[in-house]
Amino acid sequence: MRKLNAAFVPGLVLLLVSLLTWGYQLKSGLIVTGMRNPFSWGLYIATFAFFVGIAAGGLIVSSSVYLFNLEQLKPFTRIASLSAFASIMAAAVIILPDLGRVDRIYNLLLHPNFRSPLIWDVIVVSAYTVLTFLSVYLQLLPDWKKEGRGFLNGWTRKLTQEEVESIAARWSRRVAVVGLPVAILIHTITALIFATQASRGWWYTAVLPPDFIAVAVASGTALVLVIALLITGKEEFGRYAGAFDTLARITAGALAVHFFFVAMDLLIHWWWGGPEALAVLSLVFNRYAPLYLVEIVLPAFVMIYFFTGKARRSPGNLLWGCFLLFTGVFAHRLMLMFPAFNQYPLSLSLPGMEVESWHYPVAIGGFKAGAPVFAGSWPYVPTLLEVAVDLLPFGLALLIITLMVGSYNFLPEKR
Amino acid sequence: MKLGMVIDLDRCIGCRTCVVACKGHNSQPPGTWWNRVFTPGSKEHQIPLAKDGEAQMYFLPVSCQMCENAPCEKVCPVGATYTDEQGRVLVDYERCIGCRYCMVACPYGVRQFNWEDARKAKEKAGYMPGYDYGYPFEHRDKRGRLVYTPDRPKGVVEKCTFCVQYTDQGDPPICVQACPARARFFGDLDDPRSEVSRLVRQRQALRLKEELGTKPKVFYLPPTGPRK
Repeated sequence: MRKLNAAFVPGLVLLLVSLLTWGYQLKSGLIVTGMRNPFSWGLYIATFAFFVGIAAGGLIVSSSVYLFNLEQLKPFTRIASLSAFASIMAAAVIILPDLGRVDRIYNLLLHPNFRSPLIWDVIVVSAYTVLTFLSVYLQLLPDWKKEGRGFLNGWTRKLTQEEVESIAARWSRRVAVVGLPVAILIHTITALIFATQASRGWWYTAVLPPDFIAVAVASGTALVLVIALLITGKEEFGRYAGAFDTLARITAGALAVHFFFVAMDLLIHWWWGGPEALAVLSLVFNRYAPLYLVEIVLPAFVMIYFFTGKARRSPGNLLWGCFLLFTGVFAHRLMLMFPAFNQYPLSLSLPGMEVESWHYPVAIGGFKAGAPVFAGSWPYVPTLLEVAVDLLPFGLALLIITLMVGSYNFLPEKR
Repeated sequence: MKLGMVIDLDRCIGCRTCVVACKGHNSQPPGTWWNRVFTPGSKEHQIPLAKDGEAQMYFLPVSCQMCENAPCEKVCPVGATYTDEQGRVLVDYERCIGCRYCMVACPYGVRQFNWEDARKAKEKAGYMPGYDYGYPFEHRDKRGRLVYTPDRPKGVVEKCTFCVQYTDQGDPPICVQACPARARFFGDLDDPRSEVSRLVRQRQALRLKEELGTKPKVFYLPPTGPRK
């Protein structure tokens, strides 16, 4: 039951390492990352998209229990809400080191530009953070009342246990009903940050938002599955076998939808045969083929594996499957960036004087003796320091989950 | 008033005088170039490329296209990038939060980020200590927004401003003033009698990436003579 406690120390270490390296980055500037002018978003934004994904999935699971009466999943609603809350906090926090001037972040409130998809995302991510917090809070309220502890619950002191339980149940339901559309929105809007940009052929497609949702359901459900597995342990796996079976099926089904969207996207890019579309595909299938292989093969394997009953009956297999899936989804998020920045958006030439496969060079943004100042494309690789800073959301999510699971009961007895 | 520029590619000799003048006058830190001139299709500038059995070469200067439908302005979450009453797309150095969404959105690759402190960058590049260059004063718009400073803050995005510090005084941008071949024209596109309006109207003026609908205020007169 308390296996997750062991993860508290690693979580703390990750958090400290990332905070220290972030401090160094604040002092030196983003020059310490692998990003430059031709490749202006990298690991941080990919990690943001990754965490938004698993965050959306969490509340989709707990809301479905209420909305679609998925009784089997009921024991896991607390875990799902917690996983959603921890993930959305993680997503929000990794944006901070990506900002060149995090000290001016208040400008988002003082001078919001409502035409910017980034502002839309700020709004929905904030709303989602509040909703997931409420969802966890409301579900824990009855326990806190009974045990006489908890926080922000002074107002329940004068109420009876029954009253608290009925208030919690009523409001949990309401939060779940509002939460489901918001869960879908955070992913839609995060996808829109990318999909609105006609300057980046790899993103400029209406299939991006639905595909983000499919990946979110798959990876978010997988995280709920992993946390639940670690809490129940092998001993009690049998008691919740039905719930685990359903979660694995949801993951596999969402992956199938995801692969359908991927296939449509690739087909439409390829069929017309325009030079810019083909240049993007060449990046995907040649230059970045190894990473793309990880993105496709691992989730494809997990999908097939989870569709077979054998995998779903063994806790060890489920755990491994989920970790393979996370690796694949993370590769998927990284692959958002590479073909988008290194295609030829700057095949600038005049009508009638086109030249093929030529990239109008961009000033890199830093000077180093002997290295070129202008580049047609930038071979982005995150630096070690960037990877260290990127541990921030992982550390935070781990800490939130272990602290909460260690302090309160997230697996209520079946009634 | 809608300030715009016309570049006559028949006249451009690819000398990059505008690039260097722009860099100096606008105090651009090492590794930052608001204005670029390249030979399309060629690996190296000023090297002709073989096309249809003949040598071909033309030069294409590119700096901010000053789009009317500017994606950089639309994506900016805090309104740091804005279009002023004279049609110039500017960046408020004091409001920018450094999210770099505008760099993602720009189809022309003209936006540049201050990845490190400009002074430190100059030191690292080996500039003589205390050596400063460029227009030495801060420049603010009518509402007091900082749109030019020789001391670039770390972590903000910058780009060509049509030399806001000069155009506010009625002078043309430095690239126009410096061009030895007189290939650049500058003026009010709203005034039908201005030279730029006349050129756009009477010659075959083209814009880069017209298909994206960004409506740049920088026009190009394509080369008419043989490109040899």
